[in-house]
Amino acid sequence: MTSQKNKIRLFFYGILVLIVLSAIFDFPSYYNQFASSVKSKLKIPLPEITGKPFLLGLDLQGGTHLVYEADVTALPESQRGDAVEGVKDVLDRRVNAFGVSEPVIQSSRSGDRWNVIVELAGVRDVNQAIQMIGETPQLDFRIQATSTVPSLTDEEKKELLDFNESAKKLADSALNKALAKNANFDDLAKELSQEPGAVDTLGKLGFQKKGIFVPEFEKACFDDITIGEIKKELTETAFGYHIIKKLEEKGEGDAREVNCQHILIRTKNESDIHPVQEWIPTQLSGEHLKRTQVIFDPNSGTPQVSLEFNEEGQEIFKNLTTENVGRIIGIFLDGNLISAPRVNEPILAGNAVISGSFGVQEAKLLSQRLNAGALKVPIKLVSQQTIGPTLGKASIEKSVNAAILGLIIVCIFMVLFYRIPGIIADISLLTYGFILLALFKIIPVTLTLAGISGFILSIGMAVDANILVFERFKEELRRKKSIDVALDEAFRRAWPSIRDGNYSTILTCVILMWFSTSVVKGFAITLIIGILVSIFTAMFVTKVFLKIIIKKGSDKWLWMYGINKKKI
Amino acid sequence: MISVIKTRKIWFVLSGGLVALSIILSLIWGLDLGIDFTGGSLMEISFKNESPKIDEITKIINEAGFDQNSSVQPIGEKGFIIRTKDLTEDDHQKILGKFNESYKDNFQEERFDSIGPNIGEELKQKTYKAVFFGIIGIIVYIAWAFRKVSKPVSSWKYGIIAALVLFHDVIITVGFFSVFGKFYKMEVNAPFIAALLTILGYSVNDTIVIFDRIRENVMRYYEGNLGPIIDKSVNETMVRSINTTFTVILTLLAILIFGGSTIRDFALALIIGITVGSYSSIFLASPLLLVAEKINFGNKTKKVR
Repeated sequence: MTSQKNKIRLFFYGILVLIVLSAIFDFPSYYNQFASSVKSKLKIPLPEITGKPFLLGLDLQGGTHLVYEADVTALPESQRGDAVEGVKDVLDRRVNAFGVSEPVIQSSRSGDRWNVIVELAGVRDVNQAIQMIGETPQLDFRIQATSTVPSLTDEEKKELLDFNESAKKLADSALNKALAKNANFDDLAKELSQEPGAVDTLGKLGFQKKGIFVPEFEKACFDDITIGEIKKELTETAFGYHIIKKLEEKGEGDAREVNCQHILIRTKNESDIHPVQEWIPTQLSGEHLKRTQVIFDPNSGTPQVSLEFNEEGQEIFKNLTTENVGRIIGIFLDGNLISAPRVNEPILAGNAVISGSFGVQEAKLLSQRLNAGALKVPIKLVSQQTIGPTLGKASIEKSVNAAILGLIIVCIFMVLFYRIPGIIADISLLTYGFILLALFKIIPVTLTLAGISGFILSIGMAVDANILVFERFKEELRRKKSIDVALDEAFRRAWPSIRDGNYSTILTCVILMWFSTSVVKGFAITLIIGILVSIFTAMFVTKVFLKIIIKKGSDKWLWMYGINKKKI
Repeated sequence: MISVIKTRKIWFVLSGGLVALSIILSLIWGLDLGIDFTGGSLMEISFKNESPKIDEITKIINEAGFDQNSSVQPIGEKGFIIRTKDLTEDDHQKILGKFNESYKDNFQEERFDSIGPNIGEELKQKTYKAVFFGIIGIIVYIAWAFRKVSKPVSSWKYGIIAALVLFHDVIITVGFFSVFGKFYKMEVNAPFIAALLTILGYSVNDTIVIFDRIRENVMRYYEGNLGPIIDKSVNETMVRSINTTFTVILTLLAILIFGGSTIRDFALALIIGITVGSYSSIFLASPLLLVAEKINFGNKTKKVR
C-alpha cells in the first residue's frame, strides 16, 4: 500500500516539475524578470534563460516577402496559368513540409509576367528558405519535333569518330603519364579526369561491392589488378576510357569490396550528338512525379533513375508514348537535356527511366532532389522584402485578451460546478496549456490568430475528458462506493468513451494529414498533438492530483466534490 | 428525465428540414468565398517621404468600399501591400484616386498584380478525398470498437449513424454561412475550413461518448427493448454533454464578443457547428439507433414467416 502511495507521490512531484519547466520554457521573459528581481532582492543567483520565441504567423508578426518570376516563355499561353499553379503547389510542399508553417504562397500575374509570391512568417532562416526553394529542380519532358527517326548523318558520324579518336589519343597519353615512374595519380586525376567532380574526389570511388560498376570497369577493378597497381591498359566503357588504380580491398566472396580510383577520358555516343532539333513541350513535367528511385540496368549495370508518376502523370505519359512510338522523348533537368530515350512501345505502366552517363552518387542525388519536388518551369528570385503583420497591434491584443478571458471563464465554471475536482481539472488544463505551448515552440508550429483561438478552443475541449471522469465519479459515489474506490472506478469506466471518441478524431486527422497538404495538414497535426496531450493530462495528471488529495476518510467532505446529499 | 425516443419524430423532422434547407441554400446561394479561395488583386504602394500609419491606409481602403476581407501590411520601410478582391480597372483607379488625393506627390504605386488563390485546386481535391476516407475510417473503427454489441443493432450501424450525424452537423453549418454570405456578406476563408474540420472532430467525439454509454447499458440491461435503454443512457450522459458544450461555447463567446473582426467569423462558425453537434449527438444519433434496430427487426420478422 505504501509503495502505491509513494508511486503517486513521485508522479505528483514529477508533474509539478513538468509544469514549472514548461511554464518557464513558454514564457522565459517573465521568468527572467522574476529571476533578476530575486537576484537583486534576495541575492540568490537564479540562472537566466535565453528563450526561444514563439513562431508567430504572418498576421501577427509579418515576415519575408519573396517574389519568384516563373519563366513560362516555353509554354503556350493556355498552359501558363496551370504551370504556375503547379509551381505554387511544389513550393508549398517544400516550404511547408509539415503544414504548420502557415506561409502565404500565391501566384501573381501582371500582364505577361507570371510570378509566385512566397511569404514566410518570421524573418529567421530566410536564406535557408531561399536555398530550399532555389534548389528545386526543374524537370520537364519534351517530344522531338521531327517525325522521322533521326540517325546520324555522315558528317555527324565522322564527327563522332574524330572525337572518339582524339579521346583515345588523350587517354593513351594520360595512361603513359600515369604509368611513368614518379607519377602522382591524384594530381593526374585532378588535372586530366573528365569525370564530373573529379577535381574534388580525385577520381576515388570509395569501397564498392560487385554490381555497382559497369562490367568492364568491375572486371578491371576487382580481378585484373592488385592493390596499389594501375591497370596497364585502358579500360573502355560506355562512358569512355578509364585508367584504373586499385587502392584498397577488403572482405571475401560476396562481401568483397574494392576501393578504386580512376581517370576518365570521355567518349561520345550516338545520343550525345544531336542535330539541332526543335523540342515541343509536353504536359508532362516534374510536378507529376510521385516518387523516384535509383535502380540498376539489368544489362549494363549502369545506375539509372526510375520515375514513378502520379495518376495524372501516368495518364499523360501513357498518351504520350502511345502517340509517339518511334520518336524520342527528351528529359530536361534545369533546362538541360539529360536523357533522350526512344519510345519503343506505349508505356502503360507509367514509369520512365532516366539513363544517362552518371554514377551512383549522381543518380542518388538526382533522385533525392526530384523526390523533394520538381518544377515544371524554371523560377528566379526577383524580389526579397520584409513585411509587417496584417493585423494591427490593437486587434491582436483584443483577440488574445478575449481568448484568455474565455479560458478564465471555463476555469471558474469548473470550480463552481465540480468544486474540488474542478480546481484539480483547472490545474490539469493549465498543465495541458503549458505543455502544448512548449510543443508548439519546439516543433515549431506557427501561431496565427486563428491558431491561437484554436488552441484556446482545444483547452475548452480538453475539459471534456475531465468532465467525463467527474460525472462517472459522482455516479459511483451515488452507488455508495467508498470514495477512493469510486475514484478508481470513475477513471476505469470513463476511459473507453474517452478512448473511442478521441481515437476516431485522431483517425480522421491521420487521414487528413496523409492525403492533404498545407493548411489542412497543419490543422490535423496540431489537433492530434492537442488530443494526445489532453488525454495525457486528463487521465494522468488529474488522476495523480486527485489521488493525492482523496483519502479514505474524505467521505465526510462529499459536498466538496459536488455531490448534493439530497440527490444520493 | 427526457425521452428522446418518445419525442424523436420532432427531432427527425427538425433535422431533416434543416439539412434539406441547407443543401438547397448552399446550392443556390453558395458561400461567399473570400480571397483565399478566389484570388484577387495585389497593390503595392510606397511613399517617398514620410509614410503614413497602417490604420490610415486601411481607412482609405474602407472608404473606397473595399473593407471586406482586404488586408494591408507594411512592406520594407515605406511601403504597403494591399490585397483585395478582384478589382476592375475602374475600382483600381478609384482607389488610386483616393491615395493621390490624400498624399499627392508623396504617393506612388509600385505594382498592381492579380493574385491567385491560397487554397488551390490541388488542396481542395486532396481535402475532399481525405474527408471521404476519413469518414470511412470512422465507420470502420466504430464498427470494430463496438463489435461486442452486435445485438440488437449491428456495430456497423453505429458507425454509419455517426457518419450521418457528422454530415448533418457540417452541412447545417455550411447552410448557415450560405445565409450569412447572402445577407450579411460574411466571407469564408481558410479559417472556415479549419472550423469545419474542428466541428467534424468534435461531432464524432461527442456522438461516440453517448454511443459508448448506450453500448455499456445494452450489454448490461438489454432485454428486448432498446428504446428505454437509449433514453436511460442519454439522460445519464446529458449533464456531461451539456457541460462540455457549455465550456466550449463559453470560450467561443468570449472570442466572438471581445475578439477582433478577423476571428469573429471563425468563432461564429464554431459556435454554430458545436451547438448543432451537441444537439445531434443527443437528439438525433440516439433515436436513429432505434430506427436502425427497427429496420433489422422488420427483416427478421419477415424471415420468420
